[in-house]
Amino acid sequence: MSREIKKGFSGGQYKPLSAYDVGRIHETAFRILDEIGVRVELKEALDIFERGGAEVEVNRGEKIVRISSELVEAMVKSAPSKIVLGGREKENDLVLEGTRVHMGTGGAALNVIDIDSGEKRKGTLRDIADIAKLADALGNIHFFVRPCIAQDIPIEDLVVNQFYAGLSNTTKHVMSGCDNAEKVEEVVEIAELIAGGEVKDRPPLSFITCWMDSPLCFASNVTKALIEVVKKDLPVILSSAPIAGLTSPITLAGTLVQLHAEELSGIVFTQLINPGAPVVYGGIPSMADMHNLRYIAGGMEFGMMNAAISQLSQSIGLPNYNSAGITDAAIPDIQAVYEKAHSICQCALSGSNLIHHAAGMLESMLTVDYGQYVIDNEIIGMAMRGVRGIEVNEDTEALDEIKRVGHGGDYLRSKHTRRHMRTEFFEPMLASREEREDKDKQGLRDIRELAKSKVKEVLDTHTPVEIDPEVDRRIRERFNIL
Amino acid sequence: MKISEEILTKIKENVVKGRRNKEDEDLEGGSVGEPGVEELVDGALKGEIGPKKIIECINDAMVVVGKKFETGEYFVPDMLASAEAVSVGMEVLEPELLKVGQKKEKFVVATVEGDIHDIGKNIFAMMLKGAGFAVIDMGTDVSAEKIVKTVKAEDGEIVGIGLSALLTTTMENMGVVTEKLREEGMSKSVLVGGAAVSKEFADKIGAIYCADAFEGVDKAKELIKRG
Ligand code: B12
Repeated sequence: MSREIKKGFSGGQYKPLSAYDVGRIHETAFRILDEIGVRVELKEALDIFERGGAEVEVNRGEKIVRISSELVEAMVKSAPSKIVLGGREKENDLVLEGTRVHMGTGGAALNVIDIDSGEKRKGTLRDIADIAKLADALGNIHFFVRPCIAQDIPIEDLVVNQFYAGLSNTTKHVMSGCDNAEKVEEVVEIAELIAGGEVKDRPPLSFITCWMDSPLCFASNVTKALIEVVKKDLPVILSSAPIAGLTSPITLAGTLVQLHAEELSGIVFTQLINPGAPVVYGGIPSMADMHNLRYIAGGMEFGMMNAAISQLSQSIGLPNYNSAGITDAAIPDIQAVYEKAHSICQCALSGSNLIHHAAGMLESMLTVDYGQYVIDNEIIGMAMRGVRGIEVNEDTEALDEIKRVGHGGDYLRSKHTRRHMRTEFFEPMLASREEREDKDKQGLRDIRELAKSKVKEVLDTHTPVEIDPEVDRRIRERFNIL
Repeated sequence: MKISEEILTKIKENVVKGRRNKEDEDLEGGSVGEPGVEELVDGALKGEIGPKKIIECINDAMVVVGKKFETGEYFVPDMLASAEAVSVGMEVLEPELLKVGQKKEKFVVATVEGDIHDIGKNIFAMMLKGAGFAVIDMGTDVSAEKIVKTVKAEDGEIVGIGLSALLTTTMENMGVVTEKLREEGMSKSVLVGGAAVSKEFADKIGAIYCADAFEGVDKAKELIKRG
């Protein structure tokens, strides 16, 4: 299986918003922060805002923070425009800036579709380790977010073990959500042990915080965790997740305006805590099914909005994070792949720096499936090919070749062909291009079966580069690693 | 058509349109200025139409709304608008109903401590109200102590408690609530729902599992029947 990693190409070809739209949304978001403000109940957070010069007022018992556009602009300037996320192997480092595209797994599913029985069951620590190993082997997956919640271990051991199951089974960058401030310290300690003390330049792990309870409220518990992470100088992703029609306006523009205001409030907050702290503009705008309010992340509008937020963050010059590849299909069927393919392409082509949920996810984020990781690896590969784009130069135009072959020949014996043929076309791992008769002869094989056999092959044969045994020993000595 | 029939037809129409009062618009954005459910119910009472007749008419209207919702013609906000129009109408009727000694059954709902997911809980609360319950919605991230305190304060009146949790980590706090209620000697029925919750878990903590809000309302109605 090819582990060749194709990441970091520059996107930006797909722009659902015009330059005028981006400017307008930005201005309207300023008005939201200035005229409506955000609600912040956590005392510590209120103090940070107040000391930083935001206006705090109490309105019918609710504490509202209003932020001027001057303060927003100054704080956005203070945030770094480039962040490096480290892998345990340097070749897996991710450089987040501009429109460089990286795609990875997404997290916190409750269920896993069992590779053997095909049944839906609760996620375990073993699943996290196995999926990390799979992600390690799949070349188009560029980073690893712990995919599911381990429901077979005590809650107090969760945070540390979920991170470590990832870290010890892949050398790609590891990320996880954290809503527990007390555990941040422990995770940072693990990061330091693995990175050999210095985590600032190439942190091997980072945190995703859903600190925003849309519309426009800071969620106190996660905000506490956010403060801890920011103080530690570790990169943090600010993920705001408005749901169009439910926790934000039904219109895509209204949802984007609100999300942008929410993100700006979070960026201001992080910079007031720790000027220059690495912060990623992140969001996962989605929709509510207005027939029953179920969560929708497989619709076309999901990809449009997630692509649009890369434009919004690019316009203020900060690295960004969004979501693609979530489907509302509960099983790995045809719906799953067409929904995934749309949003993955949209986000990739919009030039997002970190696209999570891009592999493995099913059922509106409730379930992950082993085979689906392999199928999505292929969809991502195709999308990345699109991002790489069409290179146009003297060599690729091939005028000399066209002259040489002239009228009616072929290009099979051309050196130019041999030089380019392995890289010019995306080389699929699963796709079949045989005719029906040939397939019949081999016995028709569903691509999902093929994907499953690849999973088994990886789990049986792939050995990720180990963590230094001495470091591993020290981590196990210090923490209850299960 | 008799005047009384005419006004009842209008009440029905306006419940279906989800117009609480004369300021509300209908589905097409029209009708502003025309009387809504509030004004119409008031008019009906003044026209000596009995509350029982009016309630029957409102129920008929909600059956229509329910059908439209089931076929997909109506979306949740349509149903919500109708349910709100009904509540406004019921408020106008309340003094009359109290005279004949009718009161609503009370239900407490909350998302448990540590959890801020409230969409499922809100749907359940909304549907309970639509089914004629008085709902005390305690919001999100509510501690077991607070829930028990509220139930205690309203004791004798509460027919059941609905708890929601979407995180595996906060789900355990539902068990804390059932445990505390038992300690306090309150044998209240607790309905539980949310993505993380399962039938086995509900059984374990001595609660009633509801896969969705519809099932929740059915179970709540059963609780009243059981008394
Ligand atoms: C929307 C959402 C959010 C929103 C919540 C907004 C809000 N106001 O509620 C935000 C963005 C704030 C959020 C935050 C977080 N979330 Co969240 N969220 C979701 C999401 C996408 C949808 C939930 C939803 O509203 N569904 C729609 C409603 C209608 O469905 P429902 O709640 O299940 O309710 C139905 C039934 O269950 C039932 N029901 C529910 N409750 C009750 C109660 C009673 C009494 C009855 C009768 C019925 C009933 O009736 C409803 C309809 O019929 C789910 C994934 C998913 N697809 O479910 C993740 C999910 C639940 N979240 C998850 C996580 C991890 C988080 C965070 C921890 C993220 C982080 N890293 O910080 C934070 C937690 C914050 C906190 N402390 O609570 C995980 C849970 C994993 C776990 N640990 O168990 C999930 C599964 C997503 C994932 N894969 O990552 N989230």
